[in-house]
Amino acid sequence: MSVSCTSLPQPARSNGRSATTTLVTEEEERTAPAVAQGSGPLRVLLVQAEPADADLALCALREAGFEASADVAQTAAEFTRLVRKNSYDVILADYEFPNWNGMESVELLRREGQDVPVILVSGALGELTAVECIKEGAADYVLKDHLARLPESVRRALRERALRQENRQAQEELARSNRDLEQFAYVASHDLQEPLRMVATYTELLAERYQGKLDANADKYIHYAMDGARRMQKLVHDLLAFSRLGRQGLAIESADCNVVLQATLVNLEATVRESGAVVEYAQLPVVMADSSQLIQVLQNLIANAIKFRGVAPPLIRVSAEAQAKDWVFSVADNGMGIAPDQLDNVFVIFRRLHTRAEYPGNGIGLSICKKIIEQHGGRIWVESGPGRGSTFRFTLPVQSTTKGGYG
Amino acid sequence: MKNPEILMVDDNPADIDFTSEVLAQSEGHFHVNSVNDGVEAISYLRREGKYARAPLPDLVVLDLNLPRKDGCEVLSNIKADPSLAKIPVVIFTSSEANSDVSRSYKMGANCYLRKPGNLAEFVAAVQSMAEFWLGFASLPKRERQ
Repeated sequence: MSVSCTSLPQPARSNGRSATTTLVTEEEERTAPAVAQGSGPLRVLLVQAEPADADLALCALREAGFEASADVAQTAAEFTRLVRKNSYDVILADYEFPNWNGMESVELLRREGQDVPVILVSGALGELTAVECIKEGAADYVLKDHLARLPESVRRALRERALRQENRQAQEELARSNRDLEQFAYVASHDLQEPLRMVATYTELLAERYQGKLDANADKYIHYAMDGARRMQKLVHDLLAFSRLGRQGLAIESADCNVVLQATLVNLEATVRESGAVVEYAQLPVVMADSSQLIQVLQNLIANAIKFRGVAPPLIRVSAEAQAKDWVFSVADNGMGIAPDQLDNVFVIFRRLHTRAEYPGNGIGLSICKKIIEQHGGRIWVESGPGRGSTFRFTLPVQSTTKGGYG
Repeated sequence: MKNPEILMVDDNPADIDFTSEVLAQSEGHFHVNSVNDGVEAISYLRREGKYARAPLPDLVVLDLNLPRKDGCEVLSNIKADPSLAKIPVVIFTSSEANSDVSRSYKMGANCYLRKPGNLAEFVAAVQSMAEFWLGFASLPKRERQ
């Protein structure tokens, strides 16, 4: 059933849809201008059993300056057909209905993947029910005897939807540019390998055959060239590893973090032994995760704790605690710590806080940790201060744990 | 094997020069012939035109990224040709992509060897490849030429 108001209504109540509503043809319906935010007529879908209520709601909108055209749906089937066919700016739904209620339209819209604000326009709606409805996704509720509130409610719903759309677009844009960047990094690092291998190999050959046979400057230049080529090889290698993280799927399985930690410590055995580090750990949970990637995370964090140690021998504590919906893992050390203004920088790829002479490395380890944790639906951050040691924390969702307890 | 013949297919003159040099200096007295693209490689193996008197190689060392006809195509041509199919083909390339490795083996490559990024490893890879394939491995008898 389709009704439309295109002229100002008579200032009277009507008992039918005759005075203020006229039937529109299919053609008109199809060519009705798509409403952009804040311009053109407002496309309203009324989910109302009482035609008089529909008219009153439209009148309230028009009195407030809205140019509104409306369709009416009285059954769920009709509703679905209309929202599939037309794009609406707002849905005004009665709460009480003989066969269904206004809240079902929220659910139907969700199923259709449409973001159209639903404002409940209803008679006595208890305070509790109203709150429930908004929790479940209604934009607002307006009582039938307070229709003067409706225009402002519609305006707010439209503003909120515009913001949601902007937000969604920004997120899609960001995701796309991240994908492009990953693709670029992958291709570039792949294609860079061949020429780079040439430079590295033949500079080495040059050094091997002509070292000491030219003058001292020549030897120095050869050394610089070799050093640069080797460093670039390492960078390209790391960049490839980083971009592969986003390209390869996760092998999610039930992972006992105690086992993961032991595997990590086996990998780090030499480093731990040589530095005299002590690694203490509490009982860790079982989570759903890609265990080889978790090993990488713990390995990078513990290796960093050893590398950036303070004067005292490194002491590293690994633990986990449940907090709301997350397991919060901590890797705490007694190392040199990080200046407050650098806390966010440590996770940026290729960002290094020290010279290469002080501490070797490309500055990729923590960005890999961040990527892995975020791919698992978690967050990673660091708490630290100079000389206070650093505590890296990351979360993994509890709902993805199998036994919901310690392993 | 006496005077083993190697055909190296590579568009990188530096790698051909250096590989030939390493092989010539090693104990096996390997002899390396080379071509720079895939079309030339097939002409050589079928001994067409200027390659009419070329020796049939005991081993083909094939790069994947080649102009005109890429390494995979050359490989499939070799393995589809009854007179060439039994010549072992070693893929020797910069690519470390898993997809290249598995595709090469699926198409009948006898070995996939990545060109190492540093000099010492490059020399070791070339020497051990030649020693294994032309020293230890039993190869089919070379056909009369």
